[in-house]
Amino acid sequence: MYRGREGQWAFFLHRISGIAILLYLLIHVLNISAAMWGEEASKSLFAIFHIWFFRLGLLGVIGAVLYHALNGLRIILMDFTGWGVKYQRELWYGVWGLFVLFYVPALVKIVPEIVRDITGA
Amino acid sequence: MAVRARRYQEAKAQAGTNLELAWWVFMRVSGLVLVFLVLGHLYMSNILINAGKVEYTYIAERLSNTTWKIYDWAMLSLSLLHGMNGLRYVLDDWVRDPARRFWAKVVAYSLAVLVFFVGSMSLLNHDFSKGLSENTRLEQSEGTR
Repeated sequence: MYRGREGQWAFFLHRISGIAILLYLLIHVLNISAAMWGEEASKSLFAIFHIWFFRLGLLGVIGAVLYHALNGLRIILMDFTGWGVKYQRELWYGVWGLFVLFYVPALVKIVPEIVRDITGA
Repeated sequence: MAVRARRYQEAKAQAGTNLELAWWVFMRVSGLVLVFLVLGHLYMSNILINAGKVEYTYIAERLSNTTWKIYDWAMLSLSLLHGMNGLRYVLDDWVRDPARRFWAKVVAYSLAVLVFFVGSMSLLNHDFSKGLSENTRLEQSEGTR
């Protein structure tokens, strides 16, 4: 297990989120493409993916994409500016600041929808 | 071996081949483009609408529109290339046994080719407008003209 400082955590989380996103991407493309076989095929698949478990999972995927995107921008700054490496730790805290800024409003919008759809209220 | 440099000059020095350097550059360029494409996609499908209510009709309408076909196909190709090259770095790092690493790559690349082919079929080959009602189809054709 990684016991390093911020830079190592940033690297490790970038990998884990990347693998998770790739796995979701493969499933997602096949799921959407199933519409080629008609409405019934889509319906039976969405019956699965609209279960609360998968909708919560989707929140995880959104979080993973957001972290991977923001930390990816941090990597680009480290690679192509003269000051990025020096301030990589501060940039990582910036990543988390922006993450909270975007993710919390998304949760505020999506979580009540999931609760409403599940309870049928 | 994956390039681990911070800075283009270091990457150039580290990369064993021009191909490996090209992948290093590709990851940055495609990553930057994907930030906008994918976050835009997430915004449209999770914030503007309720993703839990998405059904066949929504897909058929979206995949009947030329603009979304281009947008989605750009996203599909870039994200698969970016993701599969990322996975290649991970497998090179984490699967030490050469035979197992080879077969892991064979399985992963085959799956990626299949997903790319099926996804491209649904975007470029399949006519989803056929199943839509006459009104929707008219709106769609006006929208894409």
